[in-house]
Amino acid sequence: MTLNRKNSPDVVEIKSIYIKEAQENILSNSIKLYTINASNEEVIKIDFIFDAGSNVQKFKSEAYFTSKMLSEGTSKYSAAQLAEELDFYGAYFQTKNNAEEAIITLYCLNKHLTNCLPIIVEILTDSIFPENDLEILKKNAIQKLKVNEERNSYLVRSAFNEAVFGENTLYGSYSNITAIESIQQKQLVNFYKNHYQKGIKYILASGYVNNETIETINTNFGSNTFNVYDNLTYNYVAKDLEPADLYIDKSNSVQSAIRIGRRLFNRNHPDFREMQLLNLILGGYFGSRLMKNIREEKGLTYGIYSAIEAYPYDACWYIDTEMNNDLCETGIKEIYIELARLREELIEEKELNTAKNYLLGSFLRSIDGPFSLADRFKILKDFDLEYQYFYEFIEIIKNTTAERLKELANLYLKEEDLTSVIVGSKEI
Amino acid sequence: MIKYNQFQLANGLHVIHHFDDSTQLCVLNMLYNVGSKHENPDKTGFAHLFEHLMFGGSINIEEFDTVLQDASGDSNAFTSNDITNYYLTLPANNIETGFWLESDRMLGLDFSQESLDIQRSVVIEEFKERYLNQPYGDVWLKILPLAYKVHPYNWPTIGKEISHIENATLDDVKTFFKTFYCPNNAVLVLAGNLDLESCKLLVDKWFAPIPSQNCVKPNYSQEPKQSEARTETFYADVPLDMIVKAYHMPARTDENYFAADMLTDILGAGKSSRFYVDLVKNKNLFSELDAYISGDVEAGLLMIEGKLSRGVSMETAESAILSTLEDFKNNSISKSELTKIKNKSETNIRFNDMTVLNKAMKLAYAWVLGDIELVNTETDSYLKVTESEIKNIAKQILVPTNCSTLYYLSKQNDTK
Repeated sequence: MTLNRKNSPDVVEIKSIYIKEAQENILSNSIKLYTINASNEEVIKIDFIFDAGSNVQKFKSEAYFTSKMLSEGTSKYSAAQLAEELDFYGAYFQTKNNAEEAIITLYCLNKHLTNCLPIIVEILTDSIFPENDLEILKKNAIQKLKVNEERNSYLVRSAFNEAVFGENTLYGSYSNITAIESIQQKQLVNFYKNHYQKGIKYILASGYVNNETIETINTNFGSNTFNVYDNLTYNYVAKDLEPADLYIDKSNSVQSAIRIGRRLFNRNHPDFREMQLLNLILGGYFGSRLMKNIREEKGLTYGIYSAIEAYPYDACWYIDTEMNNDLCETGIKEIYIELARLREELIEEKELNTAKNYLLGSFLRSIDGPFSLADRFKILKDFDLEYQYFYEFIEIIKNTTAERLKELANLYLKEEDLTSVIVGSKEI
Repeated sequence: MIKYNQFQLANGLHVIHHFDDSTQLCVLNMLYNVGSKHENPDKTGFAHLFEHLMFGGSINIEEFDTVLQDASGDSNAFTSNDITNYYLTLPANNIETGFWLESDRMLGLDFSQESLDIQRSVVIEEFKERYLNQPYGDVWLKILPLAYKVHPYNWPTIGKEISHIENATLDDVKTFFKTFYCPNNAVLVLAGNLDLESCKLLVDKWFAPIPSQNCVKPNYSQEPKQSEARTETFYADVPLDMIVKAYHMPARTDENYFAADMLTDILGAGKSSRFYVDLVKNKNLFSELDAYISGDVEAGLLMIEGKLSRGVSMETAESAILSTLEDFKNNSISKSELTKIKNKSETNIRFNDMTVLNKAMKLAYAWVLGDIELVNTETDSYLKVTESEIKNIAKQILVPTNCSTLYYLSKQNDTK
């Protein structure tokens, strides 16, 4: 039999998905420890979640500097000693803080866990925020900010978020030099006291996790030194702003950065998952309409995409690209043509199926391996959802019709609702 | 420990199989042993441009991406100085579609002037977006020609200049494909939830019929030993001054490669590194200061690069780096500092080996280096490095006559 290269081999649709769910464990002091045991390698990642995001800060950058300064010294150890200890065991310590919380992460080999955890305990209970280290961190942060402000991609993102969420709101707030300069050591000490020392929201361990691992975590974090703390009183007030068209001139630019979009709903809204499919078709993957039209057919850009950014209290949706200053006008025209097509024409069966298959495949990839599973679980926690949310995903996507997507485009992708921001140069 | 099987087809295609049933996915990774170093010096950026064309359809398949997406798969590729690597990730039960796609584009591409024209402009936009329109984006465009005078590592994979990409012709494309994109110049890795038996059947079905080609690699000169310190000063519209120092170092397969890698870890990796503690933190001469290796197959570069704190002169900054290096060469490395670096290396390797995609790429790359078992001996190669080996390599390479230095100065700094 000769090989048939003309037709595709049989393709199996994704019908059901197996998700390894997180297990809930309760430490002796009632702190919840969620575990995902799914690794062949003896490695572990532990996230400590604190109610210490920028939503609870009184001044700009307070939450950021507190998290960055955690490892800069305790009453027993200097910054260099802490770094030396963690580095000695080959561990990585990372702090991240977003609008709602601070996430302190330890990555290490299981065999070093018993040595690493006491250092994390030290950092989370006894940081002293040395003045001198803070001044250096501030200075370096200002210098990094200056480099960022030279990037069109940074400028377009911050201007867009300010325009759709409102300046100085939870999701539209950006640091500036004055804010960084005015940060005082005392503020950080207070923030630490009120948002770290009061307790931990929960702990999430993924990788190679067995009973012994859980016991080690309990030994270090299950005592009365730590409490459960989750401040549920935060009250977010969204702003309803008029759409705007902004142009930021950056005269030395070769290319312009463009972002066009709007505020949207987050994962708690019933239309969210169908909107994910609509977004995918427009600009969410390599085969999307924007990529095909603007990159693959016209060669106007290296990349163009659209995305939904969902936060626990709000969300936005946007199209993002960078293109030559002189190509901008053509590019933007094409973007609006693609949006109009979604509102006016039904998506053809074949294109719709490809998008569905791809989306389900990318969901399958997003649950591969312990750290991906931990990221998925974190989404459930952030939006107060159950695993059912993911199991339903497959059915919802499969059942979404072209008519329904057209309806969504007419509801949510109207030209008059969109804000556009361009950062670039009009000199060609 | 990464377990694998390997076999070779009559047409020269080498195949590596790694089974992992903890995943629902399977990765198909095809590495072509061609990179930017094989390009004609007057037609640079070609290997990378070609990578883009590989997604433009093949003899029997009009739209590569649509077929793959229909099978719930995803793919991407990258080009380096040495290799071009393509990878597809699919649900394991759809892996045959990956075989169809990858074998068809090895069989032949659907060359068209139109597709070339479009990908040329996409790559030119990429050149601008990543190298010209970013603060410090052109550092590699400046440092490589300073460090390499004859070896083809002297241009970055994107190419020396935009005109080289603009001038690429359809004939160039066809010749490049015929010369390098053949089974006898490639290694195929299947990693994931696919058993060896099925893997063999599929490989045989889709790849055995593809004929081998006469793949003749161009000759190029080896870089002679550098004998004088080289410097270049450059002004740009950036907020901070930057210094970049590039030292020639041993090839990936050289026994001293690991010692050189660990040397950069001691100098610049993490908050307990010598650069960070002394020059960023204590003296605050830099806002960032890193040391790393370029990681090429052939003799590559050991890089030191830092952004100066505002108000610090280039002379002060450079002499601080140099005195740290002298101190390193003349004093001992403590036992705990050595253990620390070894533990870090082990952590990095273990974490890297967690996904089938990473394992697939690593297996393919080890084949390029000439020994697949390198994937399993890598950890030991780091663990057995001694203090004297690191100090010897430091003394050998961290000398002024082996160094190219770029002073990348801020135009905005005139008023400091």
